[in-house]
Amino acid sequence: MESKKVQKRNILIAVDESENAARAVSYVRDLLSGLPGFRINLVTIIPEPSEDYFQSESERTEWMKEKKSSARSILEGFRRLLIDAGFKEGDIRVEVAIKTCPSIAECILAEQENLACGAVVIGRRGISKKEEFIFGSTSSKILHTAKDCAVWVIE
Amino acid sequence: MQEIDQAETKPFSLDEIKERVATCLGPDRVQKRYNIITDTTDFFRVEYDDVVILGSKPYLIRNNEREGRFGIDEQQKFWVKRARDLSDGSVKIIKLVFHERFQAKVGDIVFDCFRSPKKEARILDLTKGHSRFMQGFSLTDSSNNLIRVIDFVKGKTLADVVMNLGRDHEDYFFNHFPSIFEEYMELVEAIRFLHQKGEKHGDIRRDHIIKEEATGNSRWIDFDFNYLHRENMFGYDLFGLGNILVYLTGRGDVTVQQLRDAGSPVFDQLTSYDTNIIFNNRVVNLKKVYPYIPDALNFILLHFSSEANVFYESTDQLLHDLHAAKEHLKNM
Repeated sequence: MESKKVQKRNILIAVDESENAARAVSYVRDLLSGLPGFRINLVTIIPEPSEDYFQSESERTEWMKEKKSSARSILEGFRRLLIDAGFKEGDIRVEVAIKTCPSIAECILAEQENLACGAVVIGRRGISKKEEFIFGSTSSKILHTAKDCAVWVIE
Repeated sequence: MQEIDQAETKPFSLDEIKERVATCLGPDRVQKRYNIITDTTDFFRVEYDDVVILGSKPYLIRNNEREGRFGIDEQQKFWVKRARDLSDGSVKIIKLVFHERFQAKVGDIVFDCFRSPKKEARILDLTKGHSRFMQGFSLTDSSNNLIRVIDFVKGKTLADVVMNLGRDHEDYFFNHFPSIFEEYMELVEAIRFLHQKGEKHGDIRRDHIIKEEATGNSRWIDFDFNYLHRENMFGYDLFGLGNILVYLTGRGDVTVQQLRDAGSPVFDQLTSYDTNIIFNNRVVNLKKVYPYIPDALNFILLHFSSEANVFYESTDQLLHDLHAAKEHLKNM
């Protein structure tokens, strides 16, 4: 399938509930507010645990509802932050996706491709080397595997 | 979609049970009464000499299985029963339903783990007939609990086996290790098979490999453990594989304390480059202790060092390097 042509001024900020995500959003706000033509996609990917994690379908449904609600609330806060800084409401898009994600980085990059974003912005968690060794690092993986887009890793 | 045997529970009379126990264990082992169970929800009430009926078969319950974990030796696992299949006398491990979620700690890293009967049942299906995995099947009891009935793998752990091989490390390494290494590679291939199917083993450690007494074949056991992965779904499995390789290469863990207590000159030369990234007291740079270890093998071990900058992210990467090391071991 032919990929969509990326739009340089179309930016994806991958966010979760962490302070790192807040730093990423603040960075974009400080850098780009007041500049015309930028479109911001605030995207939260929630990796869905395997079916084994839940003892029943109702538990799974409840889990997803809570996660989505919490993510929407966080995204709304970030959206307001950008609007208050001068971004137009119509230029900000928010999305919460619960996905089966063997790799969160791959899920984020799939969204980047799908939305034809020219840049992916992500906050660095600052995990220890040990943690990266066992569990991997999403920002490192995005840095190493992203194609046709810029990657901003915010400290 | 996983297929689960939901065969109707067949009723057995007390006389039938007694007759089968007499055939399987001998007439002197027959009890006057048997507690016959079809609903295993409360696994604490499933006790020694009870008979659990699953599908069309009666199983005579023996002891709870035990397992050492997190430094606590030999904890009883009340949901895991050794049993005799009264239809043919074979020894089985019956795993009853026990859901638990907990935080595990490896070194100073905390992560979320859970136990899942569904995962184990799925892997039993997936690995049916595979010589490197324990064999068994799953079915539901009368209350729809997903029970796993597993062929008991009689034998020692591979880790225990290697400890008794060779007069000393050098003898072990030159005369026994090459075949152990090939067996290890096949065990890694087996884990690759799981990963390719999107499954983790979840609890890779050396006492989860049993060397079957009858065949000499090593098998992975225990698949009900899982963890919430982060970026790399299989990273924790790979860490386990690395630890096992270090153990097999060293004929046991070589610790900093052992070297110190033995007055080894290597002790004073140790740096963070030489020790395990998570378990800092374990030496991974084994060539420093045993200089005859080929570089190609030691290169793999160093991927698990505190100073490693490149980590294995897949069994493919690990196997690539193992194949290279195998060539060097052949030429020793």
